[in-house]
Amino acid sequence: MMASLCHCPASPPHHSLSKLLSPLSRPRLHPLLSNVLPIFNPSPNRIRAGDQFRRLSSSSRSVALPPEELDSPSLGDLTRPDFPILHQEVNGFNLVYLDNAATSQKPTAVLKVLNKYYESYNSNVHRAIHSLSAEATDAYEQARNKVAAFINASKHKEIVFTRNATEAINLVAYSWGLSNLRSGDEILLTIAEHHSAIVPWQLVAQKTGASLKFVGLTKEEVPDIEQLKELLSVKTKIVVIHHVSNMLGSVLPIEDIVGWAHSVGAKVLVDACQSVPHMVVDVQKLDPDFLVASSHKMCGPTGMGFLYGKSELLSAMPPFLGGGEMIADVFQDYSTFAEPPSRFEAGTPAIGEAIGLGAAIDYLTGIGMQRIHDYEKELANYLYHSLLSIPNVHIYGPAPSETVHRAALCSFNVENIHPTDIATILDKQHGVAIRSGHHCAQPLHRSLGISASARASLYYYNTKKEIDVFIRALKDTIDFFTSFQ
Amino acid sequence: MSSLSASLRLFSPKLPQTFPKSPFFPSKPFLIFSSSISFQRLPKSPLSEPLRAQQREAEVDLCVLPPRLQEIIVLFQSVPEPKAKYQQLLHYGAQLPPLDPRFKTDDQRVRGCVSQVWVRAFRDADDPAAVRFEADSDSALTKGLAALLVFGLSGSLAPVIASVPPGFVHLLGLQQSLTPSRNNGFLNMLKLMQQKALQLYSQVGNSEINGVSESKGGNSGAKGGILEDKISIFREVLSANRSGDSLPYGHLKVDGHGMDSADVVQKSSGGGIGGRRERIRQGLERELSPVELEVEDISYQHAGHAGVRGNSDGETHFNVRVVSKEFEGKSLVKRHRLVYDLLQEELQTGLHALSIVAKTPSEAQSS
Repeated sequence: MMASLCHCPASPPHHSLSKLLSPLSRPRLHPLLSNVLPIFNPSPNRIRAGDQFRRLSSSSRSVALPPEELDSPSLGDLTRPDFPILHQEVNGFNLVYLDNAATSQKPTAVLKVLNKYYESYNSNVHRAIHSLSAEATDAYEQARNKVAAFINASKHKEIVFTRNATEAINLVAYSWGLSNLRSGDEILLTIAEHHSAIVPWQLVAQKTGASLKFVGLTKEEVPDIEQLKELLSVKTKIVVIHHVSNMLGSVLPIEDIVGWAHSVGAKVLVDACQSVPHMVVDVQKLDPDFLVASSHKMCGPTGMGFLYGKSELLSAMPPFLGGGEMIADVFQDYSTFAEPPSRFEAGTPAIGEAIGLGAAIDYLTGIGMQRIHDYEKELANYLYHSLLSIPNVHIYGPAPSETVHRAALCSFNVENIHPTDIATILDKQHGVAIRSGHHCAQPLHRSLGISASARASLYYYNTKKEIDVFIRALKDTIDFFTSFQ
Repeated sequence: MSSLSASLRLFSPKLPQTFPKSPFFPSKPFLIFSSSISFQRLPKSPLSEPLRAQQREAEVDLCVLPPRLQEIIVLFQSVPEPKAKYQQLLHYGAQLPPLDPRFKTDDQRVRGCVSQVWVRAFRDADDPAAVRFEADSDSALTKGLAALLVFGLSGSLAPVIASVPPGFVHLLGLQQSLTPSRNNGFLNMLKLMQQKALQLYSQVGNSEINGVSESKGGNSGAKGGILEDKISIFREVLSANRSGDSLPYGHLKVDGHGMDSADVVQKSSGGGIGGRRERIRQGLERELSPVELEVEDISYQHAGHAGVRGNSDGETHFNVRVVSKEFEGKSLVKRHRLVYDLLQEELQTGLHALSIVAKTPSEAQSS
């Protein structure tokens, strides 16, 4: 049954599924029966993919919800049972995992698919004639189709599987960058970019004589769009920009930025690591030239990521890594190369992991990205305002409003207490996992005038209750240190 | 955490003597020559065993740790609750005086810390062989760990500091990870302190020796390595500065009986039982044709300590005074090495320490 997941047709329309699973359409459970009945009440006339999702969720143990949640369990309550790793104790406390911007957890569905791959049909792809290989190749290419459909790419060959988003950016920098950039050209970035979006371009700029330009922050602590427009010029050859900031929680108007960049003849590479897992991302609507994301941040396995590139661009790019798979013919002193995407997939890929990513996409699609996004907006506001209520806490990035949406993450600092101290005691004394450090954004921290910050980042399987636990624990931790000072 | 068994180990010393307050040297069977200092043979160094990073029951030989560090460990073990342990750590941190800003340079920064940590090592004003530390951090917990290391290691000799196994931290019960990683502040701090201590140490050593500083013979089973080299430098320097002058590092007290050069060594009469004294005499006479030769078995002075255990017939420690023309034109270091080389066999068969006076005839006359 699990294998059939991989051979699912392209994802069903999101909105009908959302309605299917929204609290309003489901019959309410009598409190006394909550232990007996599964959460979902399967109904025969629903769409197949939805059934599979429900079956997956209810196949794990049914959860008795506390009375106040019974009327409308949140998406977090509904999906938590699918994540075995969340149900454990850390240092004697129930784990509260709030480090999702660093990596996400994997549902049983994905784990089963990975296992099934290795147990039943692991075989090298695109090479052999035998049945196992054919099955593996099918599943691998199906996964590519799923990624394409997930971001609404028009052609599946516009999806290149990489090790992660970092490798994808390096691919563009070395392959497209080295052959298109020359002295005097400019690469435009924001000061809030992740190191993976900055460093490859520094390396390539050194080799080509191009230079990097950085857009700063406004006083609301978001990248300055006006300054970006000013810095765009005929010298700009590529704009490398994030969609959602992993530290500030801000969201950039990618569609507009791409429009402005294209009008000066610049390409755009969008770092969608923090957006693809959390909201609907449509590359035909946004129209970037390149887009990257990582599997492990969207409930898929590690060691897998992808590059989306417009087919005419990819076709014109020279190889990045050389080796098997990406060639057409190999002679002693030269070789000819395959068409994209194979041209950029040298060697044996992470086959099982690609298939696992496909399963993650199925799982996410089963819930619906819009539904995930809406729930996370609630979480984002709840987190932000709960944190704000604690004295001496400074949250970075914009304040949420009707027009300004924040991602469900908050980077913050507590006056006079080092973020590492906060994170350590939160972990050791409360079992709450957050991150502390520069979050791979040193230039951003420097421009904010800090050396490090703490960050809590959520995903759709977190709940408001967990936010409450985090806030209580944070207050306790702050007391621990201030009573000492 | 095995607090009980660890503290038992602490209070039942392997050495018959009362708990020594002075610094120890790790135990490889190398030799140190000096009339004024004797060193105990220590139990097998934990350095030779692989350190298992995530060990729950730390098998740390407490005896190799500096005494102050041992006290700190005992203190932490007396506090059972984790929250109280962290408070204790914060207390230590609060006692650390802030580091002078001029020392907060890249040179003193601990690499790879998420928080900023600076560590400074310098020689003790009263005891140049001992290393003192200062440290600071912007993170309270890291400052606590730094304080722990500063208080625990300051005042010890570099080789002692260098041989402190990171595993001791398991005994504190702080769940401190020992996985080497760029983010492991504690491990990186300890390593930097050990590195700086050895740097200071080798600076002293190098300034006293002319040329060669290889470790020679007698180290049966020695595995070489940086510690051995440093210790051999120390050894050479010590022996080079004998003959009545005070040591460059000042006075070293061991075993509580600070023997200094002014101590009069009792002259024993006659030869030893097993004939080692005779063998030493013969070995030296043959090669050096000495004008004067005195070989004296002072093993009784060291009877009962670890170095002598298992060697009940004594013949482990000797004073040698030799005056010979062979020493003309040779530095003190070279003279001692010469004597040493001639007694290789003895050194490998139970001779633990030699105190050497090596003079030329003209020196002997004028002194």
